[in-house]
Amino acid sequence: MTIQYWRQRDRYYRLVGSACSECGAEFFPPVYRCKKCGSEKITDKEMPQTGKVLTYTRLHEPLPGFEAQAPFYLAVITLDNGTRVLSQIVDSPDESVKTGARVRAIVRRARVDGESGQIVYGYKFCTV
Amino acid sequence: MHLMQSKERAAILGYGAYVPYYRLPTTEIAKVWKGGGSGPNVEKAVASMDEDTVTMAIEAGREAVKMSGVQSLGAVFVGTESKPYAVKPTSTMVAQALGQHHTLAADLEFACKAGTEAMQVVTGLVGSGMIEAGLAIGMDTAQGRPGDDLEYTAASGGAAYVIGRRGKDAVAVIDCSTSFVSDTGDFWRRAHERYPRHLSRFTGEPAYFYHIENSVKTLFKETGHKPSDFKYAVFHQPNPRFPVEVASRLGFTMDQIKTGLLNPMIGNTYAGSSPIGLAAVLDEARPGDKILMASFGSGAGSDAFCIEVLEGIEKSRGVNPTVKSMLERGTKIDYSTYSKFRDKLHK
Repeated sequence: MTIQYWRQRDRYYRLVGSACSECGAEFFPPVYRCKKCGSEKITDKEMPQTGKVLTYTRLHEPLPGFEAQAPFYLAVITLDNGTRVLSQIVDSPDESVKTGARVRAIVRRARVDGESGQIVYGYKFCTV
Repeated sequence: MHLMQSKERAAILGYGAYVPYYRLPTTEIAKVWKGGGSGPNVEKAVASMDEDTVTMAIEAGREAVKMSGVQSLGAVFVGTESKPYAVKPTSTMVAQALGQHHTLAADLEFACKAGTEAMQVVTGLVGSGMIEAGLAIGMDTAQGRPGDDLEYTAASGGAAYVIGRRGKDAVAVIDCSTSFVSDTGDFWRRAHERYPRHLSRFTGEPAYFYHIENSVKTLFKETGHKPSDFKYAVFHQPNPRFPVEVASRLGFTMDQIKTGLLNPMIGNTYAGSSPIGLAAVLDEARPGDKILMASFGSGAGSDAFCIEVLEGIEKSRGVNPTVKSMLERGTKIDYSTYSKFRDKLHK
């Protein structure tokens, strides 16, 4: 597990992003400065745990570390506050994975560092 | 007196169950290892390759907290025998995912009764006034050695309970419990071993039946309750037969146990077994119904609870998915996929 991941664990466990105290805009992943009004008055905010599929693909040749899970769905998801997340879709019937499908966030193993290293957990989505 | 009962009764404020999406028909196991037939249960619930006790405890915990409306948990306990780490608490990862930091967090282990132990400990902390509310989870990704009798039933799943001070929206009050333990070598897993071992028929009479009968009879003796006082009863479910047999010996009918009897559909979820059976019962129970729950953990011991459903149960309807809806959502897999999911087959 990298230190960077550990520092960002609330982002991976709970979809904690950012909210601008000036204009109310919300962002995921988190930002240090508001992309809409430029304010630096930013607070942590948990994003909605539900959204819908904007677009998706079925990956047969995934990146190293994900080979055993292939084939799997990778989707861009629009959360209910309009922010977007790139995520796997798991535990969902093939016919339910489609553009516009409602999804909800779940926590899953994202990566395992060999037999003796740490287990990295993160968000994935499933259709509802 | 052997009854555990706090002056200030604690109550279940919210609960959440978790059943993985995948089901392995036991005919698949029998086809590989016996050339045909099936196991004692129809199917078992199987965690996917990216699931473990941590991820499943988080999902059930989130549902329980959502139903309870509790913002701050004074304790997070996870009862399990399938910790992803030998050293690194499951409970801290669950607490982090729930946004809880000012909390007592610990993992409990007592084979299949670690979940009910967690419920007893949280009940005590609430009853003593040390905490306002806490989370008790029983969850496992149980493993059976390929071809062993256990492989037919060893399954994944469980349930989580937020237990706190009794308020107007409380789902059920935990009136009292009893525990009975002895040094019994019916089932064990040594350090560094991947699969447990068991003493076959020795797991029945001197283990499961002896301990459950003692915990429940003690509860009856010290409360004056009798089987007919209870609308429902939930017993630990290592297979479909044992809970039916122990219910009959203790004077309960099939009508009282059928709602919480999930083994035929999902197998034995170990520390999650009796807690998820209780969740299935709460899904349909009415205010005033009394529930008896008795767990069993190898090694060995049993915790028996007397629980009474409160008016708040009606308000909880529809907040979380029911156990029944989780059973209906699953999809079947074959033995090869199961082997891949549960790390028995590598690329």
